[in-house]
Amino acid sequence: MSGFDTLLAQSTAPRAEQARALGLPTPRVERWKYVPTRTLARTAWVAPTQRDTDTFALSGGQFLNIPTVDGLTEVQSGLTESERLRLDAMATAHGFSLTQDALNGHQLILEVGASASVTLTLEHLANLSLEAGFATLVIRVGSNASLSLIETFEAEAASETNLDSLRMLVSVARDGRVNHLKFQAANAGQLIFHAVDVDLSENAQYTLDTIDFGSKMARSDILITLSGRHANTDVRGLALCNGSQYHDTHLAIDHAVGETTSAMMFRNMVDDKGEATFNGRVLIRKDAQKSATEQSVANLLLSERARVNPKPELEIYADDVTASHGCTVGSLNKAELFYLKSRGIAEADARAFLQYAFAEEVVERVAHPQIREQIETRLLGELTHGELIAELKDALDV
Amino acid sequence: MLVIRNLHARVDDKPILKGINLEIQAGEVHAIMGPNGSGKSTLSSVLAGRDEYEVTDGEVIYQGQNLLELEPEERAWAGIFLSFQYPVEIPGVKNIYLLKAAVNAVREHRGQPELKAGEFLKLVREKLKIMQMDEAFLHRNVNEGFSGGEKKRNEILQMQLLEPTLALLDETDSGLDVDALKIVGEGINRMRDPSRSVLLVTHYQRLLDIVKPDYVHVLADGEIKLSGDFTLAERLEREGYEGIEAA
Repeated sequence: MSGFDTLLAQSTAPRAEQARALGLPTPRVERWKYVPTRTLARTAWVAPTQRDTDTFALSGGQFLNIPTVDGLTEVQSGLTESERLRLDAMATAHGFSLTQDALNGHQLILEVGASASVTLTLEHLANLSLEAGFATLVIRVGSNASLSLIETFEAEAASETNLDSLRMLVSVARDGRVNHLKFQAANAGQLIFHAVDVDLSENAQYTLDTIDFGSKMARSDILITLSGRHANTDVRGLALCNGSQYHDTHLAIDHAVGETTSAMMFRNMVDDKGEATFNGRVLIRKDAQKSATEQSVANLLLSERARVNPKPELEIYADDVTASHGCTVGSLNKAELFYLKSRGIAEADARAFLQYAFAEEVVERVAHPQIREQIETRLLGELTHGELIAELKDALDV
Repeated sequence: MLVIRNLHARVDDKPILKGINLEIQAGEVHAIMGPNGSGKSTLSSVLAGRDEYEVTDGEVIYQGQNLLELEPEERAWAGIFLSFQYPVEIPGVKNIYLLKAAVNAVREHRGQPELKAGEFLKLVREKLKIMQMDEAFLHRNVNEGFSGGEKKRNEILQMQLLEPTLALLDETDSGLDVDALKIVGEGINRMRDPSRSVLLVTHYQRLLDIVKPDYVHVLADGEIKLSGDFTLAERLEREGYEGIEAA
């Protein structure tokens, strides 16, 4: 049983029946162990509608205003065989991924031409109450091309339950590069499901900054496959959970060939009754010699009832690799607090300083200045005593 | 200014201070010297309010109030400043944010008007010059990646900005080369004032050659074993702590 039964019953998609039969994953499905499925299961989800806008947006499972810029083409000829296989793997993981597949609205395929340089800003519009929108975006980045992909979320004040699901397939050809920035500050009623599958050819690069502040719950499944030599990826993430928010990122990096490098840095800051899950898995295959990976995961717990479920995993089958990893869970550092307080900074302000500092490790690396500014403003708003830092920034930053 | 009577403190279950008695008048500079593990740093930490230390007996009266009842920030507002032996690195917080927040927090509690950004920058540039520090230090994260000497200069820079009534300097000379020692020492001397007292904790005499103390105390095994004037420091340098203790 799931809240999608009615929609699935109406669907003629090949996997609709299977999705309905299987229902939502239970906690026995390891990857879904901590996901609160109550709202998913109990909401009587309805088909989405689209809102009006002028910019490139995802609204109710449809992409609107597909940009026409130099170097970017919308492909009409459908998926390649390998894309189809990757999407199949994504779709058949469990009952919910089948649902995502069966209820998919729009599948958009975009191609960035060889040596082109394109910036795409996609805004996720808030869906209406009880609406569940599902979409798929396939992006091919040509050789030596560069794509800057920015995803933002409309932070409507409305807090009615709604669902936004986006599956993304990204294939980067030789020497291509993708900088992906996702700033999720969605409305408090939204459930967000993001699945990203990236494949990197020789000397291709993919960086991801993923910032999760908003929504009721957000789940990201990210798979990055380094399939060409000298491919490299760098993923940085920050999730803030306040109230009873749940944020969950499952990140897997697959070093399929040698001389590939990866780095992941993830920070969870959890307050109130919030909960964060982070699963970071790095696989270095037998033939992926001379690969290197760095993993840094830190979790900051700010209340008694806050919970984190961190799980860093390193699976290494090659013998000539460099791997470093670290995972910490803790509360604010006492020595740092004392230092600030000994300078006359009040306890509440000192705590805000340190929370800000924890988040800044990720935020300060966001390359896009305007979005970084938005992230910082929102971050300071989320902190219980962020006003002092906001004032200092205003007064002292040039 | 400061009266310490029979002060006992421990960390976990280990007694460290075993009955300290010390009186510091306004304008005086007192040096506390002693071997490693004698309790020197514990004394300055207890006075600044670090909560790992538990005071088990005795009292500390600062300007007529019971110091031990105050939170660390309240002590700072009351004019106490601790220069840390190991200044804490705070990645993600710009030095200039800390400095301005600290200066204005302390000013507010002293009934002084808040310094606006322009006024603050003017003041901080003046102090940077004294400490021979580059303005770039303002925009780096607090102590992150600073060398030992840079951290200590940053501490004295903060002291200059906060203008404490009682400065506790915990091994401010450790990790300094000769030039930095001179800059830091002179930075401290500039702060000497009839209304300001300094408690200077050190292992060696070299800082005392620049900052001449009015009194020198030898702390060993949690107690002040001997007090004297500046010549005591010279004696210590010649005879070592063992010679003094035996005497």
